[in-house]
Amino acid sequence: MKRLKVFGSLVKDSLDTITHGSKKYHLWMALLTFVMLAGMYCYSIQLEHGLSVTGMTDRVSWGLYISNFTFLVGVAAAAVMLVMPTYVLKDIDFKQAVLIGEGLAVAALIMCLAFVIADMGGPSVLWHMIPGIGVFNFPNSMLTWDVLVLNGYLFLNITIPFYILFRHYQGKEAKRSVYIPGAILSVFWAVAIHLVTAFLYQGLQARPFWNNALLGPRFLASAFAAGPALIILVLAIIRSFTEFKIQDKTIKKIAMVVTVAAQINLIMLISELFKEFYAPTHHSESAYYLFFGLDGKDALLPWIWTAIPLNVLATVLLTFHKLRNNFKVLFFCCFILFVAIWIEKGFGLIVPGFIPGPYGKIAEYMPTGIEIGVTLGIWALGAFVFTILAKTAIGIELGKLRYKK
Amino acid sequence: MSNNNKKWFSLNLGRKEKTSSGSCSCGKTSGGCGSSSDSHHMTDEAFNEAAIHASIGEERTKDGFEQVFDVKMDRRSAFKKLTASLLIGAGAVSTSCSVISGDESKEKAQIDWEEQFKGNYKLMTDKEKEGTVDRLVRSYQLRTGKNISMSSKNAEEDVLFGYAFNISKCQGYMDCVNACVEENNQDRNSQMQYIRIHEMKDGKGFNFNEADDNYYHEVPAEGHFYMGTQCFHCDNPPCVEVCPVQATWREDDGLVVVDYDWCVGCRYCMAACPYDGRRFNWSKPEVPEAEINHNQHYLGNRMRKKGVMEKCTFCVQRSRAGKNPACVEACPTGARIFGNLLDPDSTIRWVLENKKVFRLKEDLGTEPKFWYFMD
Amino acid sequence: MKNNINVMNKIVCFSFFLVAFFSCKHHENEYHSITDKIEAESKDYHGTSISSEAYIGEIQTIEITEGDHTFLIPERKSQIKSYACTECHSKPLSQMKSKDLKKAHWDIKMDHANANTMNCVTCHNPDNMDDLKSLTGNEIDFNTSYNLCNQCHTKQFEDWKGGAHGKRIGGWAPPRASMTCVNCHDPHKPHFESRWPASFNTQKVKERE
Repeated sequence: MKRLKVFGSLVKDSLDTITHGSKKYHLWMALLTFVMLAGMYCYSIQLEHGLSVTGMTDRVSWGLYISNFTFLVGVAAAAVMLVMPTYVLKDIDFKQAVLIGEGLAVAALIMCLAFVIADMGGPSVLWHMIPGIGVFNFPNSMLTWDVLVLNGYLFLNITIPFYILFRHYQGKEAKRSVYIPGAILSVFWAVAIHLVTAFLYQGLQARPFWNNALLGPRFLASAFAAGPALIILVLAIIRSFTEFKIQDKTIKKIAMVVTVAAQINLIMLISELFKEFYAPTHHSESAYYLFFGLDGKDALLPWIWTAIPLNVLATVLLTFHKLRNNFKVLFFCCFILFVAIWIEKGFGLIVPGFIPGPYGKIAEYMPTGIEIGVTLGIWALGAFVFTILAKTAIGIELGKLRYKK
Repeated sequence: MSNNNKKWFSLNLGRKEKTSSGSCSCGKTSGGCGSSSDSHHMTDEAFNEAAIHASIGEERTKDGFEQVFDVKMDRRSAFKKLTASLLIGAGAVSTSCSVISGDESKEKAQIDWEEQFKGNYKLMTDKEKEGTVDRLVRSYQLRTGKNISMSSKNAEEDVLFGYAFNISKCQGYMDCVNACVEENNQDRNSQMQYIRIHEMKDGKGFNFNEADDNYYHEVPAEGHFYMGTQCFHCDNPPCVEVCPVQATWREDDGLVVVDYDWCVGCRYCMAACPYDGRRFNWSKPEVPEAEINHNQHYLGNRMRKKGVMEKCTFCVQRSRAGKNPACVEACPTGARIFGNLLDPDSTIRWVLENKKVFRLKEDLGTEPKFWYFMD
Repeated sequence: MKNNINVMNKIVCFSFFLVAFFSCKHHENEYHSITDKIEAESKDYHGTSISSEAYIGEIQTIEITEGDHTFLIPERKSQIKSYACTECHSKPLSQMKSKDLKKAHWDIKMDHANANTMNCVTCHNPDNMDDLKSLTGNEIDFNTSYNLCNQCHTKQFEDWKGGAHGKRIGGWAPPRASMTCVNCHDPHKPHFESRWPASFNTQKVKERE
């Protein structure tokens, strides 16, 4: 009963915090709300006319939505790179960052689920997927695995920080014996969500571009580069806009994680390119399409040739300690790395999987305005959720939000 | 409009209903079952007349599954749809308590409610299958005033359907493509077609990359041969494995089918199919009323709605009745052979045992039941 | 603390095995290939209740037995407009060609093999127009005209008997009824004409632009 009262007070306090702030904060939230509403309008058009308002066709049947979904799963999984050192290895450095990381994971997961729902042809019958009420094709369908691990991860990433914040809110220390098992589990879980998402594509013998053993590991490597890169950027923003102190040491450590992951990612990229182009087979056509175009169709060239140089540049810059320790360079690198991996793992992965089609036919994909609108709306939703979570968490951590008995 | 909006959310609370099939077979679903059977004083004909006038009005010209299930709406009501879950409760109560709406619209509402919350066809008992088919037939009748016949015939024992395609015989006339579209009520706007005929150059082997599957010139063209593809009804179908809700499955007679009402439209099966055998309804499918094939099967050519997968079913409505699929029947060259793989005396078995047959992408382990052969 | 981690490890391992166990596919009827499945399941084939008989419809059929195959083919004679031929062909051919008689069959142009191989009397029997004749002069009934074709087209004949050549009438189920040679091929001009395809998909063109 008492806990309920505390919870009620927490909700009230957090509502209070998130509705108050500087002018910039209000402007930011208003902008996000506007983009979300615009996205919702686009989605209503999609609901009315069907998915034909998107650029997807029978040839390229997954597009921008699933691309973003795939990428964001990686971002969500990356929170683990902070959880492990903090909770399990007792590395104090990350303690401040980890709540932010987990907030980011929650936001990313919500975006993931929103993207999946946006991509569904029949959102009104989604209950068919609920185990018990509907029919859940487990364990045959990797999509059901994905639903399980994503929701499980979402649960973990909500409960652990919530428990910690809830204790702090009451002015108590969080008990390690309670959250450590959860933290360890979430470490395994984070690897699982990304591996399972990779298996979603990897298991399709119909699509040789995806059906390779490196896809899973490469997903992990790129996720552990892009996710923490985003966390660094977010931490930088939080540092400059709030009183929340994040030490340079923390950012430098995360930068180390980003660097190693980016290096591994680059090695895997080289391995993949070698396999596709040294002894090209019929199955290399998708890669040819992606990097050089096929039969005069080359819609993805500008994208991938933006991504690759950015990726290489960022990785090289980050490799040098001196450059990495210069925060201006670091933030720049994180940004371009994030963009590069977004292209590479989103568009650059999903679309070529469908091109050429099973019988060699090429129909190119270009997202429509409505599709982009919905996508932006979902990103805004993610940013909105994250802002709310971060603001509350920071309030509690700074001691501004406390339960008044 | 308001009637239309309400029909999604209506429950059956003490409404008088004329029972058509005798049983209400949605025991498993969450919808309001247990409708009271009561005498209805209109004759069937009079009832139909009234129903048409009262309920469809301008909708009568619309086609496809759309008119059965979808709600006509403007942008504003689209927003409403976004919050449909919140409205369900309120809507349900308001409609069921409303005394103004007519009996026929209540029947429609009842049907729609039960259809929305029915189970997966694959897991239904025969009685439940009949129930949903009866509801769909009745619903179509209420909305268009036209009768359709819909079957829920199950797979016969000792039948396994197989298909053989004679590459030497096909001349590329594409009569099969047209016959398929007419038989299976595919969307005319997007010109959906299950069958593709690939025009290949002699001497290049089976080079699909250079083949043209949308030629328009006099056929057979000099120096070319023709190869048809469609759903191969794999015995180990990857599309079935990946479906998260088991909306697609392989029947006992080998047909790979889709429950259009259970499909959530994730298109994972489409990505998993190595043979381009699946089609998606990107917008609401439309077929002019005059062209609708009224001889339907639940798993076959009944009207689809937008946002669901569909595919070739070897014309389940025909094949389970002993007919050949429409493509086989339409082929003027006899290049298409269809039959029961388990019958040792069938022609398809003779082809498999006596001709040099092969299948596409056999190395993928999908075990298609669609063989190619040459004279 | 250590204990805790140990327990955690155990739980993780256990759930891993549990998942692995349930993920193993164990279907009942697992065959190595579809041909194995067909072979195994057709061993005790008892026939089905499905019949295509109704779909043969109005077509008059006759039953023939060729080799191991017994099936129905359309009856032919009643379909020939002016059968019996002897109703006109009452005189020998040489006399029929005289000027004062009405001309018939003027539209028939032979486009079948070449003039060295075939002319009218290769198949038609000038002494008895109601029947056809084999190369060696034996009479062949119009209803079983395939016996005429199979003199040269032996491979096609084999395929036709088995069901690989030609088209079924009705449906796939027994009884088998197949078209005979002349139902698809004009014996005087047996090849298929070239023509325009029945369908052209403009949406596909748009999609691939």
